[in-house]
Amino acid sequence: MTRILVIVPFALDEAGIRNREAQSGYVPLPAGWQLTYRPVTCGPTSFMSPHDWGLMDMAIFEAGCTAEKDGFDAVCIDTMSDSGMQALRSVLRIPVIGAGKASMLYALTLGGKFSVLAQWEPALPRYRKAIREYGFERQCASVRSFDQPPDFANLLDGKEDKVFPRMRDVAMRCIEEDGAEVICLGSTTMHQAGEYLAANLPVPVVNPGPLTYKLVETFLALGLSHGRDAYAPPVEPRLDMLRAMMKAGAAAEAGRG
Amino acid sequence: MKKVMVVVPFPMGEGDLARRQAQMKAVDLGPGIELHYRPVRVGPKNYSSQHDMSLADFSIVDAGLDAEAEGFDALCIDTMSDSGMAMLRSILKIPVIAPGRHSMLIAQMLGEKFSILMMWDRWRMLYTKTLGELGMEHKCASLRSIGVTPDNKSLLSGKEDEVFPLLLDAARRCVEEDGAQVLILGSTTMHEAHGWLSERIGVPVINPGPLTYKLAAIALDLNLTHSKATYPAPLAPKHDMIRAIGAAGAAWLEANQ
Repeated sequence: MTRILVIVPFALDEAGIRNREAQSGYVPLPAGWQLTYRPVTCGPTSFMSPHDWGLMDMAIFEAGCTAEKDGFDAVCIDTMSDSGMQALRSVLRIPVIGAGKASMLYALTLGGKFSVLAQWEPALPRYRKAIREYGFERQCASVRSFDQPPDFANLLDGKEDKVFPRMRDVAMRCIEEDGAEVICLGSTTMHQAGEYLAANLPVPVVNPGPLTYKLVETFLALGLSHGRDAYAPPVEPRLDMLRAMMKAGAAAEAGRG
Repeated sequence: MKKVMVVVPFPMGEGDLARRQAQMKAVDLGPGIELHYRPVRVGPKNYSSQHDMSLADFSIVDAGLDAEAEGFDALCIDTMSDSGMAMLRSILKIPVIAPGRHSMLIAQMLGEKFSILMMWDRWRMLYTKTLGELGMEHKCASLRSIGVTPDNKSLLSGKEDEVFPLLLDAARRCVEEDGAQVLILGSTTMHEAHGWLSERIGVPVINPGPLTYKLAAIALDLNLTHSKATYPAPLAPKHDMIRAIGAAGAAWLEANQ
């Protein structure tokens, strides 16, 4: 049995988690694999300001920080922001894959330049920051939004007829005007559009969530994980403190709600 | 059953080919995939100058040209020079996976900066070419050579005592002096040193050949292949001409060796 922890970056209810779990249906997974989708204890409600980014880093860090002790073989982070990835890598020896950096690098195995399809305008600064920090500015043709406010629980459900063609049109502009040779879906929450876009665009479309499962499979098969030189363990771990903090955050949210 | 062709970049008999095939043991590919190793019929004596690289490109295209028509589902190229990859990608729709480009991109999923260990300085041009194409020179901490003439048929066998410690010494310099967080073996012919070196160096070491097998497998599962925007199909394919050139080269080798 190989157990994979998939951290869902919002404190979603069961229905919301099921919409995320549907991603595992797009790719065949090895026999004996079990994917466990775990929402964060508490965290931001939107994802468009540094306030949100900082909270999400901590939320995902807390949700995954005992994954190795809990018996998981690898961790996937279900967001293109790679929130919490660096911190988790510093406390875990098992592979930790965020969808963002990995999908951009994977896109470059398929073509020379990629564009990122973003949900709406307020999401753009976060992508630009990540691309600059990863040093992929030369390889990124563009980041364009299809101007649809995100729904982190229901995703694109019920909006297919309206939104999918608009996504295709924006992606075509990435290809024709910006020179994109591969399209990266800008969020794991867009997974429902992956097959439609792959069938209606002339370039490959990277669906980031399912990709992380297959990359984990690759790393486990090859015995590879992140280097401890790049992600040094803490001198004095305070994971118990982190756990208590996020529990208090969740209680505060419940009291408010 | 999915069939993957592995193009071996030098003409060779079964005994030498077995040392290439041994790379399979380093990775668990799961059921449902089989590798078929095919040596080229023509090519340079070794990869030591641009003269050789031009012949290498051709030889690998000649070997893989009909892969799709022959029923193969993917193709891997067994050389870090990625010789023939761009040409084959323009001709074939099935995934064509070459270890140079792919190992440099995967390395960045495991750490920020990587170094490449090579047998001799003659190989430097192989990596600078790919780094330039990717626009990722700034991700490469160093290229270090151990100054040992490679043997593309017997690989490292019989030379373990001489070569392995030299590799470890060079690897330590990459990590301690150059800041590498991930190492890449500079040739698929160095695979016999992978296990020994990984146990001793403390940073992830990428074994490029087995990595390509796994990436071929996941590309098939993800239903992804290279972008035709990056690798456009030829307007006038010269299939028969390529075959005639390859046959003439093979005949020349036969007569002159």
